[in-house]
Amino acid sequence: MSGLEFRTIIEPFRIHSVEPLRLIDQEARGAAIRDVGFNLFGLQAVDVLIDLLTDSGTGAMSRDQWAGIQRGDESYAGSPSWYVFLGAVRELFPFRHVIPTHQGRAAEKILFTAIGAPGKVVPNNTHFDTTRANVEFTGAEAIDLPIPEALAPSLEHPFKGNMDVAALERLLEERGADAVPAVFVTVTNNSGGGQPVSLQNLRAVRAICDAFGVPLFLDACRFAENAWFIREREPGQGDRPVAEIVREMASLVDGMTMSAKKDPIANIGGWLAVEDDALAERCRNLLVLTEGFPTYGGLAGRDLEAIAQGLQEAVDHDYLRYRIRSTAYLGHALVRAGLPIVRPTGGHAVYIDARELLPHIPPLEYPGQALAVALYEAGGIRGCEIGTVMFGRRPDGTEEAAPLDLVRLAIPRRTYTQSHIDYVIEVCSAVAKSGPQLRGLRMTYEPPALRHFTARFEQIT
Amino acid sequence: MSACGGQSSRRIAAVPPYKIKVVEPIALADPERRSEALAAAGFNTFLLRSDDVFIDLLTDSGTSALSQQQRAAMELGDEAYAGSRSFFRLEHAVQEVYGFRHTIPAHQGRGAEHLLARVLVRPRQLVPSNLYFTTSRVHAELAGGIWTDVSIAEAGDPESRYPWKGNIDVAKLEEVLRQAGRDGVAFVRQEACLNMAGGQPFSLQNLAEVRAITRNYGVPLILDATRSSENALFVKRQEESYANLSLTEILQLIAALSDGAIFSSKKDHFVPIGGLVAVNDDDLAGKLRELVVVYEGFPHYGGMSGAAMEALAVGIHEAADERIVTHHLDQVAYLASLLDDSDIPIVQPPGAHAVFLDAKRFLPHLSQTEYPAQALAAAIYLAGGVRTMERGIVSGQHGREAYDGLELVRLTLPRRVYTQEHLAYTAAVIADLHRHADQIPGLRLTFEPATLRFFQARFEPLAPFTLRHLITSGRPVATKILR
Repeated sequence: MSGLEFRTIIEPFRIHSVEPLRLIDQEARGAAIRDVGFNLFGLQAVDVLIDLLTDSGTGAMSRDQWAGIQRGDESYAGSPSWYVFLGAVRELFPFRHVIPTHQGRAAEKILFTAIGAPGKVVPNNTHFDTTRANVEFTGAEAIDLPIPEALAPSLEHPFKGNMDVAALERLLEERGADAVPAVFVTVTNNSGGGQPVSLQNLRAVRAICDAFGVPLFLDACRFAENAWFIREREPGQGDRPVAEIVREMASLVDGMTMSAKKDPIANIGGWLAVEDDALAERCRNLLVLTEGFPTYGGLAGRDLEAIAQGLQEAVDHDYLRYRIRSTAYLGHALVRAGLPIVRPTGGHAVYIDARELLPHIPPLEYPGQALAVALYEAGGIRGCEIGTVMFGRRPDGTEEAAPLDLVRLAIPRRTYTQSHIDYVIEVCSAVAKSGPQLRGLRMTYEPPALRHFTARFEQIT
Repeated sequence: MSACGGQSSRRIAAVPPYKIKVVEPIALADPERRSEALAAAGFNTFLLRSDDVFIDLLTDSGTSALSQQQRAAMELGDEAYAGSRSFFRLEHAVQEVYGFRHTIPAHQGRGAEHLLARVLVRPRQLVPSNLYFTTSRVHAELAGGIWTDVSIAEAGDPESRYPWKGNIDVAKLEEVLRQAGRDGVAFVRQEACLNMAGGQPFSLQNLAEVRAITRNYGVPLILDATRSSENALFVKRQEESYANLSLTEILQLIAALSDGAIFSSKKDHFVPIGGLVAVNDDDLAGKLRELVVVYEGFPHYGGMSGAAMEALAVGIHEAADERIVTHHLDQVAYLASLLDDSDIPIVQPPGAHAVFLDAKRFLPHLSQTEYPAQALAAAIYLAGGVRTMERGIVSGQHGREAYDGLELVRLTLPRRVYTQEHLAYTAAVIADLHRHADQIPGLRLTFEPATLRFFQARFEPLAPFTLRHLITSGRPVATKILR
């Protein structure tokens, strides 16, 4: 059986229905990217061959999820689909109150409106961009407290998503428990490279929150991938079912926000769950203002069904093994091809270190953007710059280099086959070889906020 | 996914021209369960429950993945009994892609074959054909016809690498027609990507010659065009003068060289159900329409729902998309190359829709009356949960006549369903089994139905038949891969 020991995993599903991919030639791609000012967010999706912009809402649902969609009950109040949803959420996250929202950021909006205010501070291992925006919108301060290892891309660490417990303790001592309405832990840590948080770290954070009497919340978008990493990497966890690990994660916190577009493999949806009755009532009052009645919260009955089914599939071991190994497959292949990536590979994406790959392009000429544009021009692959374009503009109006210039290749769940990924590897290798010829970019239009979505660029000659 | 090692230079499978829209979970039953399931199925893979199957390569018929356009079109299905909008869309698609004037819908291919045999075959008339297909032959014989093989010799030689094994032996055909005369022959049938020879194509040149002879004798030429898309792509790749034509243009050339065609749309057209007869002649179309009402349904639906006709109309266009057909052929070639690398005896060259294992060479210790292909199909299921199909003496022998023909196991690839890794797994299972081939026992027939016996026949092994008996060294491959 020589060689076979290394063949580790095959897709634990077969294809039930397909979506055609359109191949446009290099010339047409060049024209398309020039038309949108070298900003990949401006591209029409039909001009993209392999779309790795995000893993959010872009996964392939299962036959059983589609069956749920057909079954969806659209009663305004008390729909059977709501109870199916509620049961599926509580099976993994047994909180007293589950509040459905149309997607994750709506859950954040409601929670932070209820608990945030000027003078307050919300610590997080690392805030996701919409989380930070929702915290800051209430006048509160969003503070990232990752462990120091998280900031060194090439450093291997099994739980790079962990929170710096000592830093959290210092913050709570300095600012006082009254100033901290909640501590947040994001699993997996998306902005830090899709890196997991250990149970041990979560327990330590819990102990500090208990000592100061501060509630602890999970931003749980990628809870299943995080639990799989715990099972694989944390001592003593190797024999536990993922669902049980998830329940333990839930037992360590007082509530959660959730985007169902990630691990539950739905195209839309989210929820907020809390234990506290008074907080739940305040949140529900906000919910009916902006989202919908508490038994649907802005989601159709069919969406509730798809999420409920997706939650069961999300904790399936065969699926998670395939999911995490496929991401690692891309990461390992890029390392072999000589590309610098954030290590170890995370759950949902591979992050290429563009500043390291393109040392001749200074950060203010946006090496991440230049690399993302090159991947599109060479092979129709759409990634996402996470670097100076996204974070370079300071509140005081100055521009400076972000800590890292990365290109994120996020992998939609169950959507692309290994052949597609092999193609991505080929394109990345070719682009890396031609790296010295890549040119930086100059921003020709900059919107006042969240500039990465709509900025325009030109290539520096 | 392979965790290490570089890109294989032998890798043929190209980037699929689609991404996945909906998935369907699959799981490998444990060896004890597989063993029980196989015994309960009388060692006949047709009788397994699909829940017990991991990778299902039994057939490419009705098992393909629909596209989102097909699913969307199904929502538009017009279920009117007569004059359905969906029928006219189907008729239009057949005219646009193949150029046949009349479309008579049927619930599937054998429904179409039945109508055609009823209309064209009179008792004692011959039906000359390249080899045979099980249901086509039965319908011709039930109408009193006599099946006559006019395939070329290479069609029956699994080791021949001749690229056009689907060709008709023109001299043999001429001889048959000369002896029987115009009235002694019902129609000549030529099958695209000849299933029983391993999915092997005919050349356009051969079809033109067959056309000339049938015209000379005034005998209708009917295509089994079920896998004509793949045949057209072989023509484009292997027949120089057609290299610059589009797939649609080649399909139209093929159709124009015939008087009509039957289609099982469950293959090239991706749909789970549906078929049709397409003809140009008004009288013939009229006769077929008279019968379709009796056996299938009103001529505007013929046993298909409006939704099914909509999915079929879209599928007909997709079956003329060169990128889609190329990917299917390349997947078959990829699986064949993996097996060939492990020195597994397969029919060469690989055909359109399937890779065929040569059971006589795989199991040289068994005589053909011990049903080697049936035994091999059973062993492949036991070893890795992969379901394949016997294409040998069980399905090929008719009555008591002696049979020493091909003894094959068919690994059929549903279109757009399995990924490269599923195929790599399948190849690994078979390669592992090949090393222990001498452990595979023959079978004895314990129940034999009167017609089409391969569907429901039951068998017993001549010696113990468990995974432990088959694979004695180390853990079975399936366990290794999934750990």
